[in-house]
Amino acid sequence: MGIRRFALVVAIVVAIVVTSCGNSEESKPPARSSDGANGTVVDQPGVTDNEIRVGSVASVTNPLGLRAAALFDGVKAYFAMANARGGVHGRMLRLVTERDDQSLQNQSEVQALLEQDNVFAAVVGTIMFTGADILATAGVPTFGWNINPEWQNGPSLFGDKGSFFGFTRAYPLVPWLARRIDATKIGIVAYSVPQSIDCAKGDQASFERFGAAKVAVVDTSLPFGVTDLSADVAEMKQKGVDLVLTCIDQNGAASLAREMRKQGLRARLYLPNAYDQEFIAKFGDLFEGSYVLTQFTPFELAVQPPGLQRFSTWMQKSGKDRSEIALAGWISADMLVAGLRAAGGNFTRQRVVDALNRMTDYDADGILPGIDWTIAHRDDSPQICYLLLEVVHRKLVPRFGESGKPFICFDRDAQRLPDEPLRRA
Amino acid sequence: MIGSVIRGIPYGCVFGLLAVGLVLTYRTAGVFNLAFGAQAFVSAAIYYDTRVRHGWPIFAAFLLAVVVVGPLLGLLLNYAVFRHLRTAPPVARLAASLGLLVAMPEIVKLWFGNSPAFAPPSISPAAGHIYRFGGFAVDGNEVATIAATLAVVIVLTVIFRKTPLGLRMRAVVESPRMAELAGVNADRVSAVAWMMSSFLAGLAGVLLAPLFAQVNANNFTTLLIAAIAAAAFGGLSSIPLAFLGGILLGIAQQVIAGYLPLNSVLAQGLRPSLPFAALFLLLLLRPGLRTRREQGDPLAGVDPPPPPPAANIRSARLTRVTRVMGAIAGAAVLALAVFRLDAFWLGIVTLAVIYSTIFLSITVVTGMAGQISLCQATFAGVGAFTTAQLVVAFGVPVLAAIAIGACLAAALGALVALPALRLGGIHLALATLAFALMFESVLVPLDWVGGGSLPLHVPRPLVGPVDFASDQSFFLLCTGVLVLVGIAVSLVRGGQTGRFLDSVRGSEVAAMSVGIPTARVKVTAFALSAAIAGLGGGLLASQQHEANPARFVPFWGLFWVVLVVTLGSRTIEGAVNAGLALMLVPELLEVLGLTPAFGFVLFGLGAITFARHPEGIVEAQKREAIGFVDRQVDRLANRRRSRNATAATEP
Repeated sequence: MGIRRFALVVAIVVAIVVTSCGNSEESKPPARSSDGANGTVVDQPGVTDNEIRVGSVASVTNPLGLRAAALFDGVKAYFAMANARGGVHGRMLRLVTERDDQSLQNQSEVQALLEQDNVFAAVVGTIMFTGADILATAGVPTFGWNINPEWQNGPSLFGDKGSFFGFTRAYPLVPWLARRIDATKIGIVAYSVPQSIDCAKGDQASFERFGAAKVAVVDTSLPFGVTDLSADVAEMKQKGVDLVLTCIDQNGAASLAREMRKQGLRARLYLPNAYDQEFIAKFGDLFEGSYVLTQFTPFELAVQPPGLQRFSTWMQKSGKDRSEIALAGWISADMLVAGLRAAGGNFTRQRVVDALNRMTDYDADGILPGIDWTIAHRDDSPQICYLLLEVVHRKLVPRFGESGKPFICFDRDAQRLPDEPLRRA
Repeated sequence: MIGSVIRGIPYGCVFGLLAVGLVLTYRTAGVFNLAFGAQAFVSAAIYYDTRVRHGWPIFAAFLLAVVVVGPLLGLLLNYAVFRHLRTAPPVARLAASLGLLVAMPEIVKLWFGNSPAFAPPSISPAAGHIYRFGGFAVDGNEVATIAATLAVVIVLTVIFRKTPLGLRMRAVVESPRMAELAGVNADRVSAVAWMMSSFLAGLAGVLLAPLFAQVNANNFTTLLIAAIAAAAFGGLSSIPLAFLGGILLGIAQQVIAGYLPLNSVLAQGLRPSLPFAALFLLLLLRPGLRTRREQGDPLAGVDPPPPPPAANIRSARLTRVTRVMGAIAGAAVLALAVFRLDAFWLGIVTLAVIYSTIFLSITVVTGMAGQISLCQATFAGVGAFTTAQLVVAFGVPVLAAIAIGACLAAALGALVALPALRLGGIHLALATLAFALMFESVLVPLDWVGGGSLPLHVPRPLVGPVDFASDQSFFLLCTGVLVLVGIAVSLVRGGQTGRFLDSVRGSEVAAMSVGIPTARVKVTAFALSAAIAGLGGGLLASQQHEANPARFVPFWGLFWVVLVVTLGSRTIEGAVNAGLALMLVPELLEVLGLTPAFGFVLFGLGAITFARHPEGIVEAQKREAIGFVDRQVDRLANRRRSRNATAATEP
């Protein structure tokens, strides 16, 4: 058969197929409602008389750079603690697999958790979360480090700080911070990638709604990986910017801080992606006076909540370092156990998911400000809480909270900036 | 304006230093060394390790990382790899450097570790000191970079223009055989050239590492792209012009940043794309980019005739047996996949089938047309994003959307090929790399292309009553597509276009002289290749249920080329082998208890064999195996014949 005849045949077949084709209904994303469960599922994969098997997928080796192996450490430390206390419902918790998705294999590795590892629940911390739909469709209680918008894809997916991403929404936090530190001119820098641009839009919207300071410079055109921020800094200096909000990674933040020092721009930095003691310690003089954001209680708190104390103790026992990702693993494990306990001795996957989705103030024993899981798959909690730390002499120092009440909280639907935020544990 | 110019100089020197390194390697070793950034990473990692983790003084750490390891690495690369490629076509040398680009960082990480190496130290004791003049300022590290770059430019220019060594280096690159006839020890000169260029890579590594928050191989590769544009400004041959190109690029970035409103749509498009746009335009417009070497060498552009595919040299009997066995094995694999494999393994095999389809695009453009395209992942992305957008925004059925995506990718492929027609070899490869980076930086972030923060959802297709929602049915669909594309590629290869491509691949000048429309043939190859990649991209999006931009970043395009040329870019089996290897090798490594990073090392080093086995390792082994089997069969047949003859002559 010649190529022309072959092409003709293929074209005819394609035409016939195309005229009769549509899209499969089954592959649509699962409903995001949390009340669709009937609680009648009786099979409990990954559960024996003695143990509850949990599987995990993280980006460990990949050429794109993210390393999330510490997620496993946090889960194992928590399981060691829980098992030392007799486990849950008389069963030991076991992290049976630590899968590396290498960034591209997420869906396959997630599939392997279900098909080969026979797990009851999953813990995930990856660059891409293409396996989200599989886990959501199978109703597997899934916990993990929420850096992917796919965490919103189903009621059985529980991110460590909630599952909702509201980047572009106006929040009171940064305007309040600007007013609190007497900043009047704001600079915003972001990469020209969607998440980063959305972050910048959210910051802009916040100042538009709440005022407090004027946004003088916004740059959302930075190429990812940029090292030259001299033009931005020059403009910020010219316009008298005194607080710079960053929607960039640690590389970009270091370049920005270096350039600010070089050009003598005396402005504070707001760093939502820099809670890393080693990073701050190594560059501390560059970031002196900057503010770092977390949505959990940091390790630097003088009065630590019980959950964080146990995390530190058991990480030390397991000989692993504390980190944000390890803490995400710990919270994930804690959330699973909370769900198991709430579901009762006759637990199933669905009952665990339902039990968690009924919780209105899950806080991992004080590590988190409280997640309202009745809405946290699709929206922020009515009160949004944060913790700000200031870089002082190469160290992170919690600010603005009170002893025993480290979080500062704002009304999600506030129309005007409050004089003072609510403090809470 | 003066402010922008002054601010642009330090960063221009960064680009200039790397560009000079690229030009040096190209001029002295005849290799456009895309692994230059990876070499820089090696020295940067050693410098960090000795300075920060072991507390060595600056001088000792610098001595080891740059003065000792840098040249030694060059020597090793020369003797292990590039010495054997001196007379190989430029594309083969580029493939080898691509392999090193993939493999070297992973080898270093096996020792250096994966934990973050924050705040790379400078070689300047006064790195943090700010020197102010007027309203401007530079820090100590920038001063060191500027000084080192200027020194390198001056020293290298003198070496090339004034010393016998420079003359010999140029002679060896021009024609190693001619140089040897004139009494030049080509081996030694080449070794010195590699030591020099690798020293420069090491110097760049330790000088530029402090620009970033941590030591990471990707950082150098990012900078290298801008440096390639600067090197192109120097025609890939002039060190002072390459340096000037770097400075101009640094200044241009500042001018654009200073004059365009920072948050404007124009700035969002122009700033990220400037180095890539500059590279693309320079490659197309700069006169003299076809270097004298490639034009002057009587053997330039003439690849040695590739060995025939293994299938063509086996005996008719073996062919029949192979086909029957192949059909049986194929049917068994299909049955196994559909009826026995669990969802995990079925997912792996389905992905292998889809990637095999995508890799057939490399079979067309590299195996048949003899060109290296580094934007096949981009074409796959075009197919995936088009499919997703059409499904989500217009409710177009998935299969129709995939077909439209393939057509759009084909049109884009033709568009890329059209202006690049006069380019060949490494220039075309660089143009495709620039296009891939531009697509990623400028177009993918747009909501109407990449879909925004949340990847667009792509369902499985439905054809009449046949629903491909199940993994089994979707696997069969993908297998059917692979078979169809394989047949199409096979027919193209055996038809007029394939024969034309063979001619163009052998000698474009000779092909033109006998009336072959080389331009049309090359555009056809590019368009067909892009269409296949786009088709595979659409299937991939449907299989994964989403069009995720991270799956189509340019790195994967480079890695795919490395993988396919390693395993066989000239045959359909080669593409299928590559698809299977991509998905199965990580699983195999896991079974063996090895880190998946070994996969990158394995394939990266495998690409180095491209020059010796342009048909791919598997194909070469297959040919040897066929030769062995045929010899055994012949021996048996001869023995039987002689026995029969003996029996017949006996009374």
